[in-house]
Amino acid sequence: MIHERETGAVRGELVPVGIFAAIALTMPFWFPLIGGYSGLDTKILIFVIFVLGFDLLLGFTGYLSFGHAAFFGTSAYTTGLMLLHYSSEIIPAMLMSILVTFVLALLIGLLLTKRTGIYFAILTLAFASMLYRAALSIFSDFTGGDNGLTGLQSPTLFGEQLHGSSVFILVALFAIVGFWIALRIARSPFGLMLRAIKSNQERLAYTGVDVSLYKLWGFIVSGLFGGIAGSLMVIYEPYVATHFLHWTMSGEVVIMSVIGGVGTLIGPMIGAAFMMYFENVASAWIGEQWLLVLGLLFVLIVMYLPGGFVDGARRLRAWIRHRRSGRDAQTPAEKDTHG
Amino acid sequence: MSNALFLTLLTGLQLGAIYMLIALGLTLIFGTLGVVNFAHGALFMLGAYLGVIIAGEVGFLLAILLVPPLLFLIGILLERGIIKNFYDRPHTDQILVTFGIALVVQELLKWIFGANNIPFPTPEWGSGVVMLHEYLPFLEGFVVYPKWRLILVLVSLLTVVALFVLLQFTRFGLVVRAGMRDAEILRFLGINIERRFAIVFGLGAGIAGIAGLFGGPVTQVYPGIGMAYLVPSFLVVVIGGMGSVPGAVIASLLIGMALAFSAEYSAIQQIIIYLIAVVVLLVRPRGLLGKKGVLE
Repeated sequence: MIHERETGAVRGELVPVGIFAAIALTMPFWFPLIGGYSGLDTKILIFVIFVLGFDLLLGFTGYLSFGHAAFFGTSAYTTGLMLLHYSSEIIPAMLMSILVTFVLALLIGLLLTKRTGIYFAILTLAFASMLYRAALSIFSDFTGGDNGLTGLQSPTLFGEQLHGSSVFILVALFAIVGFWIALRIARSPFGLMLRAIKSNQERLAYTGVDVSLYKLWGFIVSGLFGGIAGSLMVIYEPYVATHFLHWTMSGEVVIMSVIGGVGTLIGPMIGAAFMMYFENVASAWIGEQWLLVLGLLFVLIVMYLPGGFVDGARRLRAWIRHRRSGRDAQTPAEKDTHG
Repeated sequence: MSNALFLTLLTGLQLGAIYMLIALGLTLIFGTLGVVNFAHGALFMLGAYLGVIIAGEVGFLLAILLVPPLLFLIGILLERGIIKNFYDRPHTDQILVTFGIALVVQELLKWIFGANNIPFPTPEWGSGVVMLHEYLPFLEGFVVYPKWRLILVLVSLLTVVALFVLLQFTRFGLVVRAGMRDAEILRFLGINIERRFAIVFGLGAGIAGIAGLFGGPVTQVYPGIGMAYLVPSFLVVVIGGMGSVPGAVIASLLIGMALAFSAEYSAIQQIIIYLIAVVVLLVRPRGLLGKKGVLE
């Protein structure tokens, strides 16, 4: 019986992961047709990984981090330094980046996850700012200061140089596995605990659950996604920019998640794709002001559509179904979907 | 007292002054409304830009009369138009919407004025230096200090005193302080708390306007200053204790002094604020003057 349930669960994951894999892997064929340049698809998938981890924290645990750039940036610098000083092989570089991200997430997590949501948002922002400042001042001998880390050799995997399409496949594989892991987490007892923390952590604590331990692990897992994304970013483009650590980077994942739909896995991924695509297409005709338009869109979504695009699509579908079925077919179940 | 020590203390006071003004509004708004205002840096920045424009057109004295009231008005419009709808929503939503507003203000200013620094000259009467040794007999020899920085310190101290008087000795202040304690009970007592919420938000914005107007000539005026000053101001509020007005004053002085005394080691100076915040949070999680149980 247990066996039966397990196969059911695997099948339940197989379909969404399969669909996602099909969409992601065919991107090089259809993406240029809608105006995306090759390379943007790789960047989108990197941010898909980043935003998935971010949403495990915000959407599931209910903790808003304004400092996720800390993981992305620190990992990017680690990968850059490994490529520069150790070897051009990406496996040791990525392993080192993951290790460093883990330690960083553990330290920040120990200090902050016992805090309320408000403190958490402020202090994650502060920690990321501290790392940004430190990278530009104390560590500028290692990080290259304002110029970023330049002069990296092009990354290799088992001696083979990685170029456009092979980097894309590597990133796509990470994104697919990342999506699968996120899905597993979302449907696991661990994911259930995270959601319980979001809905009422006091009540959860009264049942004898060690809430701060789950929060800490949720935070670390979330940070690791960001770390892997940061590492892949440097493999995609062997250069570490200072803005990888800047608050604007943290802000970008916040915006992506929220406009896509916090609390779902599919929403933030759509949000990431939308934002990168919008940046590329919209900046062609409105220039620098694309960020202003995006900011306005973000405020409107927070105000009127807190569930983001996913919620919008759901409401639209309910409305169309409602229109089609007419007035007398209205059932209580349907009414429910309006709320 | 040696000259060097005196000057470092004065610089500390001056560096803390801007953070003090921004943090006062933040902590006031958080204490009464329970909202963490990520747009507060943007309001400060708006004050600086309005200051440059108005001072350039009609002179600085008129700008003093115009900028803080304008920010007060903007604050009230913001509260009535947007923030008001978020009191019943989760804290994360409040943070998100104020962050969005900050982003929009920043991009709007970048669009209109460009990304570069706009020179903000100090007015005629505030330029030059003050011969401090003429007034303070304990100083040895020849000691000068930029006049504008002294004015900035003076203005912040006056603002703190004015706010203290307003909160401590007026009926409005009484209600606001009661609201900081327990807004629910206040509502039961039949007091129009909504209107006062709007005024408090406006007040916070107005103080940010003062910070922008008087701080602008010192901080430079470009679209990044909002966020650059918001983060340390947040830390001031956290170190002082969320929602505590005296805490914010003390913490900003502490930060200012730390910045002044670490000036010789410029690498350390860049992160000293954060180090202090970490230590305070480890030793005393609620902040220096934070009330027990408030978001501990």
